[in-house]
Amino acid sequence: MSALDMEHPRYKALPKQPSIQRFFGSAPVSVAIYLIVIGMIVYGSFAGARNMGYNWQWYRIPDYIYTFTDDGFQWGEIAYGLVATLNLSFTAFVFATLLGLLIALLRLSDLIVGNAVALGFLELIRNIPLLVLLYLFYYVLGPVFGFDRYTASILTLGVFHAALISEILRAGINAVAIGQWEAAKSIGMSQGQIYRYIILPQSIRFMLPPMTGEVVHLIKSSAIVSVIAVAELTTVGRNIISDTYMSFEIWFTIAIVYMAVTLTLSVGVTYLERRYAVDH
Amino acid sequence: MRSFIRKLRWPDYLILVLLITFFGYIWYSIGGTLNYKWRWELIPGYIVGWHSGREEYFANLLLQGLTATIRISIYAGILALILGIILGVARCSPNLTVRMLARTYLEFLRNIPPVVVVFIFFFFLSQQLIDALNLARWSRGIARQDDILLWQIFFGDMRRFPSLISGVIVLALFESAFVGEIVRAGIQSIPRGQREAARSIGMSHFQELRYVVLPQALKKVVPPMANQFITLIKDSSIISLISVQELTFKTVELVASSRMIFEAWITTAAFYFIVCFGLSRVFARLEREKKTDI
Amino acid sequence: MKLTRRALGIALAAATATTIAAPAISQSATQGLSSESVIETIKQDGVIRIGLSLFVPWSMRDKNGDLIGFELDVGRQLAEDMGVEVEFVPTSWDGIIPALVAGNFDAIISGMSITAQRNLTVNFTNPYAYSGLAILANKSMTEGMSLEDYNSADVTFAARRGATPAVVIAKHFPDATLLLFDEDGAATQEVLNGNAHASMAAQPTPNREAGRNPETLHVPFANLYDPRGEAFAIRKGDPDALNFFNNWIAQQWRSGWLEERHNYWFNTEEWAGEVAQ
Repeated sequence: MSALDMEHPRYKALPKQPSIQRFFGSAPVSVAIYLIVIGMIVYGSFAGARNMGYNWQWYRIPDYIYTFTDDGFQWGEIAYGLVATLNLSFTAFVFATLLGLLIALLRLSDLIVGNAVALGFLELIRNIPLLVLLYLFYYVLGPVFGFDRYTASILTLGVFHAALISEILRAGINAVAIGQWEAAKSIGMSQGQIYRYIILPQSIRFMLPPMTGEVVHLIKSSAIVSVIAVAELTTVGRNIISDTYMSFEIWFTIAIVYMAVTLTLSVGVTYLERRYAVDH
Repeated sequence: MRSFIRKLRWPDYLILVLLITFFGYIWYSIGGTLNYKWRWELIPGYIVGWHSGREEYFANLLLQGLTATIRISIYAGILALILGIILGVARCSPNLTVRMLARTYLEFLRNIPPVVVVFIFFFFLSQQLIDALNLARWSRGIARQDDILLWQIFFGDMRRFPSLISGVIVLALFESAFVGEIVRAGIQSIPRGQREAARSIGMSHFQELRYVVLPQALKKVVPPMANQFITLIKDSSIISLISVQELTFKTVELVASSRMIFEAWITTAAFYFIVCFGLSRVFARLEREKKTDI
Repeated sequence: MKLTRRALGIALAAATATTIAAPAISQSATQGLSSESVIETIKQDGVIRIGLSLFVPWSMRDKNGDLIGFELDVGRQLAEDMGVEVEFVPTSWDGIIPALVAGNFDAIISGMSITAQRNLTVNFTNPYAYSGLAILANKSMTEGMSLEDYNSADVTFAARRGATPAVVIAKHFPDATLLLFDEDGAATQEVLNGNAHASMAAQPTPNREAGRNPETLHVPFANLYDPRGEAFAIRKGDPDALNFFNNWIAQQWRSGWLEERHNYWFNTEEWAGEVAQ
């Protein structure tokens, strides 16, 4: 006796939505409405800016990305700015990871002073804004140690993100099953050996997705060093704007470049998450 | 005490030595090679000053900046909460258009550096909004009146009201993306059974949200929201770049006027630290008390 | 019932999109206003809004947290003569011209030098102050040197990379060695330490540095290099405002008031007591 006998008068099929609702609810129409709304917003801002007396100069933008001169193909300032940003972010990331590893290990150890120092460092960095930290490094510690603005930016970004990365690393290390620790200890490995051969290699798969997220975060944070005129993408943008006053076009282009970089990296993150997904 | 010292091992001593060397070097070079004269005694005067003209105590630059930061953070926090809830709900909406619009807004704000967002917003929206609402004239009208103590408590110098509003709006817009994600996570963590039960007793989508899903979701996400509020206070320093008169901007002014670079920045960092750390301790205590209540 | 809600939803979306675009569309009304002079707006509102950026001694905060400085005197006198209130809008320097163009204030009075580049975006009045670069030298190292002696290979200049002094030094003293630094402060520090013979900076900075370290530094020559005028900056397309401000500035020059104020703030240190120096 089939339970779902649709012919039986007691079981009536659910009423279908009126067809006009089905039309509007369907995917293609929704996408169309979405595009219309976005279009209205974009058009509204274009028209509004023109009414403000703004003179659109989109045709000048490609020159800043690349040019064809007598010497052939040459990258423009925005491209150089992007490379500088990526350089800066990469260096800061390496520094942040090393420092973060040190802090994480200190926190995981049972050293009293070590733990206290790590905790103090973390709380201090986590409760000060990045901009204030940058000013501190550049105007206060800069003259003391004699480092220039590039070094000050690397240090600021590195220290700020080391605090965040150390938490990721610590969580990753803690995620390794405790049985691994016990087994390693029972065969007589020292603390250092356990870390090096057993724990750290296994913890990497836990750390990788959030770490890539941290890379994206760092690239976004790097824009703030433009306040001390370090060469990078946002600085290049502000310089071009101060020379040519094409504010809208430049900011739009800069935003698109950042979005392209971060979205590409996010795709990488999703891929890594899927590949390293822990299936127990 | 002796057992404490016995627990210290050689790396502890190494770290202590390194720290002492580090700070000692800083102290030595500031006093020695840089020839910097510490003027800490002037700092309290810049927090609360004795006005020589008016013969009364008044809040000076740093305190003005601190109160402005607190005001901006609270107002932006409330606005971000409202926008964030709308955004979070929109992200879970059954309507594809709404979902896509919310997703676009979210991705736009999440993938662009905060500095760039602040500048874009300021250039495009803030002046238009201020002109459209005629905010400048209205606030100046209020500033010209005599008894404006209430206004001053809530909004500070009324002549700077439009820039305060700009700062609040841009900060709220930026933070609403993150609040929206928190709310979305909260909504999606509500078991499907709740939703199905609500539907089965005939609630509409809106009623289901209002009476079943949101109360539970919001209660669940209070800890990450509290953290986000602390992040908001820190992010408020970025709006100093659009000349909103909050703590970081006031410190820049102080340094430009008096060359007390070290004292000023250390004091400001301390202010931010006290506020953020204090709040995080308060939230931690509240969370612990809430847990034991169960 | 559901259809009405759906229709309502779409209407709400359209309304939201329009509201977002509305402030932009309302610009056409504001544009009508901006074709009138800013003088009219100032008279109607009863206040002149002046944008400035803190830079000693043009404008700074005193111990009471109030704004004092040369610009403040100029602005207050201007407002008094116009019969209106004055509002000062402290703005960060690299955003000050965009803020003027956007309408955050009516004029920039902030020691802004007239340059052709800036003039493409804003209008300048006639100058209300003049300045130029002067040489700041280490006393013991440059004892008895004449101006021509500075242009030799064993003389070292220090300057900030990319700033005007660096360009001017390279132009006027091509034979001397030029060290480039990231900051003005670092360049001045080199001269103080004796690692460089001299540097260049816009007056009154050399005078004040020499005044602060009279044993080590001095300003050997009164020549000003790259002389420039500082003027009010106003939005383009406003001949009435240009005429008014120019005449006001001319009158202040004629009466000697501008010169007296400039002297007070730039050549004396009498005001130093009010600011924590």
